[in-house]
Amino acid sequence: MSRTIKNKRPYLLLGLGLLVALLLVHHFVLNLNLFPEAWDVRLREPLDAFKQWSIRNQTTHPIFLYFFEPISDGIDFALRRAEAFLLWLPWPVLVTAVFLTAQKAGNLRLALLTSFCLLFMGLVGLWPESMQTVALMTVSVLITLLIGIPLGIWAGRNARVERGLRPFLDAMQTMPAFVYLLPLVLFFSYGRVPSAIATIIYALPPAIRLTTLGIREVDKETVEAARSFGATPRQILFKVQLPLALPSIMAGVNQTIMMALGIVVIAAIIGAAGLGGIVLDGLRSLRVGLALEAGLAIVFLAVLLDRLSEAIAVRNRTGVVVANGRLFPKSWQTNRLIIRLEASLEWLYQSGGKLLARLAGLSHSDFVTRHAYLFASLLLLGALIWLGRALEWTTFPETWQLSLQDPVDTAVLWVRDNWFEFEWGPFLLGTRPFSNFVILNLLDPIDAFFQEFLSWPALIVGVALLGYWAAGWRLALGGAAVLFGLGLLGMWELALVTLSQVIVAVFFSLIIALPLGVWAAKSDRVTAVLRPILDFLQTIPAFVYLVPVVMLFNVGRVPGIMASVLYALPPAIRLTNLGIRQASPEAVEAALAFGSTSRQLLFKVQLPLALPSIMTGINQTVMMVLAMVVVAGMVGGAGLGLEAVNGLFRNQLGQGIEAGLAIVILAVVIDRLLLASAARTSVGR
Amino acid sequence: MTKPQFTISCRKVWKIFGPNPGAVRPLLDQGLSRAEILAQTGHVIAVRDVSFDVRAGEIFVVMGLSGSGKSTLIRCLSRLIEPTEGEIVVNGQNVVDFDAAQLRELRRHKMSMVFQRFGLFPHRTILDNVAYGLEIQGLKKEQRHAQARQVLEMVGLKSWENYYPHELSGGMQQRVGLARALAVDPEILLCDEPFSALDPLIRREMQDELLRLQKTLNKTIVFITHDFLEALKLGHHIAIMKDGEIVQLGRPEEIVAHPVNDYVREFTRDVPRIKIITAKTIMTVAATDAGGNHVTVHADTTLEKLIGLTAVSPDALAVLDDTGCVIGMVDRTAVLQALSEGN
Repeated sequence: MSRTIKNKRPYLLLGLGLLVALLLVHHFVLNLNLFPEAWDVRLREPLDAFKQWSIRNQTTHPIFLYFFEPISDGIDFALRRAEAFLLWLPWPVLVTAVFLTAQKAGNLRLALLTSFCLLFMGLVGLWPESMQTVALMTVSVLITLLIGIPLGIWAGRNARVERGLRPFLDAMQTMPAFVYLLPLVLFFSYGRVPSAIATIIYALPPAIRLTTLGIREVDKETVEAARSFGATPRQILFKVQLPLALPSIMAGVNQTIMMALGIVVIAAIIGAAGLGGIVLDGLRSLRVGLALEAGLAIVFLAVLLDRLSEAIAVRNRTGVVVANGRLFPKSWQTNRLIIRLEASLEWLYQSGGKLLARLAGLSHSDFVTRHAYLFASLLLLGALIWLGRALEWTTFPETWQLSLQDPVDTAVLWVRDNWFEFEWGPFLLGTRPFSNFVILNLLDPIDAFFQEFLSWPALIVGVALLGYWAAGWRLALGGAAVLFGLGLLGMWELALVTLSQVIVAVFFSLIIALPLGVWAAKSDRVTAVLRPILDFLQTIPAFVYLVPVVMLFNVGRVPGIMASVLYALPPAIRLTNLGIRQASPEAVEAALAFGSTSRQLLFKVQLPLALPSIMTGINQTVMMVLAMVVVAGMVGGAGLGLEAVNGLFRNQLGQGIEAGLAIVILAVVIDRLLLASAARTSVGR
Repeated sequence: MTKPQFTISCRKVWKIFGPNPGAVRPLLDQGLSRAEILAQTGHVIAVRDVSFDVRAGEIFVVMGLSGSGKSTLIRCLSRLIEPTEGEIVVNGQNVVDFDAAQLRELRRHKMSMVFQRFGLFPHRTILDNVAYGLEIQGLKKEQRHAQARQVLEMVGLKSWENYYPHELSGGMQQRVGLARALAVDPEILLCDEPFSALDPLIRREMQDELLRLQKTLNKTIVFITHDFLEALKLGHHIAIMKDGEIVQLGRPEEIVAHPVNDYVREFTRDVPRIKIITAKTIMTVAATDAGGNHVTVHADTTLEKLIGLTAVSPDALAVLDDTGCVIGMVDRTAVLQALSEGN
């Protein structure tokens, strides 16, 4: 290793010299602040021209007639059907169906939780919008799985296919979700169809990856055993590989659903109606109460989908479900009253099951008896549909609805009056002074450092140097070239504004996440308290974070940063915790045997051993903050995000796509640099 | 003398792993070693010019340390790994020439395999594991379950059929592996270190079980092991492999008595020679009627017994074959020499 460092040293020194020279030129000879405007390739013009062309030719050109149109029509048809069906169903049918499924897959607690989640959407008067979102979800997820699972199986069985797919999957996962939306508008215009397609593209990687992983991880000897008995490839797939890969595939389905939900609500900005649209409207017209209602509905939808699909996946994995009658957490089982209650619930459940089995036995059909629960549920739902149609239960009863809007709007006003700014002794506190502080002391100086002190050529050389040090020529040249592209796009200044926000957001995330992660690793209790909170935070689509942030911080750059911090916290905390906990127990034991204090243990053994995991956490934090750039743009986070959002709202698509590309460039450069530096520093481990 | 019936005959079998196995042979002819070829070309010579015959109804043991190519060799027999070169004749047919359908037929009906880490299907019950081979042959559920139950009873796992593999101990899991292989009633059983993952006591129990089953079912068994004592206990013939080649092939007592080189001698060091070596291996061949008043012993008498007999007999012992004919003589010198060679 030391040899390569020596080999690299002259080049590194040369680069450093160039950097200093550039800085001297910049400060004393020629101001290199701004990327020369003449070099702007003005990509937005052909893009906008193409948009115009596509609008004019939508009904005549063969590529639209025979390619985009059929896709668009097919998806639109499915969406319409799904939506119409969901709205046709009397609402109690859906709630009951969710209850019964959750009861079977999990327990009574899950059933009550999930059916409440669904009920909530009706209670706040958002039933039709929720059904629109659910329809968009259902269709997108089904298409995703129909493409993803077979592709995943293929890649799992054929290494060449996997190698071919991998770069695409990597690229798809590095790109912030939002970036898909803009180009799709070029071909599919605004509305639900491009939203569905964006969702499919975004949610495809986990479906493929986890299927492939599942197939790959089937024990080699097990497959060999099947082969040794003369099984055909098809028999191996269906009798061995698929059943054993099922848990992983189901985990993929769960992830696909959650990722799809994340983008389905963001897709509101290209005109997908539904809950996301309401949140967006609420935020843009600063009717926070409305946005909060829809935001909560999204959260509940997320919780419902996540817990239900996870329960089904777990049930598939173990094949056994115990205690369907369980209502309370296990830790409550010490209370006698609760034990008795649980016992009677379990008894009810058991005897219900017995009764069901006896009734099903009357049919004298083995199939019916085995699936008694399913048949009974179907009968019940059928009866509910009939009853509901007869009594016209299609819309959620208005008298049940309770609006949160007025109290929330009042609360927001109160917060604005009391928390935005208040004096406490000699200090001016509140969120506005905080925002100002962050802007004046962090954002602006960082921006000025890049823009004015470094100048653009020096920044590019700096990145190349870092890339060369961390990996080699390829990363150095690639990074510099791609960064130069930012300037060619005319996005240099905006990109640096965004970069300063990203740096500040990452900084805040890490100073919260790292100590919390360490603390959680040291204390089981902290971990136990944090787990449900982190689970919850990770379930919520990023978009929803905007609502509370706007309540507290109004709009601007700092609220955008705060939303990103909220979004990026969980993985950083988790990975720090995990890294420390997984530090080799023998090493820890040895350190203790030498009489280390717990502080010495942490700094001399656990943290160094956890470094790779922590570096992964930092990288993930950065990538998540970058993914939030556009979302932050919606609440006035200046820079590329705002530019992309404006591109859409003001119908300047070309400009929006340029901004989107610039975000991708930032993401790719930062991702590669961080990964390479992490690998470089962890050499010898 | 009639020609012995060979169930499996391997002729000059090679397996070379790597992108271009054909390029390796010239290098070998130039006298490059296995390690040099790996370093230069990235090719691994796993099996090198191996030939042997397995007689019908015998246990043929291939013994070698890890990396000696024995696991590759056994997989070549049913072409789970494609041999690079050579002939593998099973019941008169060259398996190497089989097409996919013939190969499946061979695997479904003629040969089944027992794996080192059992290779059980974790998502299937014990019964369905054992019935797997019958299932893919297309047997109806009742029929295959009935057959599987019989075999389970034979290996003593009758009451476990509804359990899952992870609920059983290692020894029991390998009984299931054995039962699964026997369920299709194959002519040949391929065992790839089946007992290596088991505790010593369980291992001995399983070895006895295999010998018992072999006696009643009379299968032809190819058995892989890295344990020399296991090879001695089970094998009618033993092939010792090193670096992909067979270094010695013979009956157990032949190998113990006359190891061909230091490598083999090293294995025989811990062997209780007095229990393995027989009169036949240490006798000096003598004329048939040299007898008279000599004490006679059977050719299979172990060294352990010969010590006592030569101690009390002033003259050499006459060694008799199955028909009662004298085939050789053993004296004190021969016995003492046989004893000292072990040390």
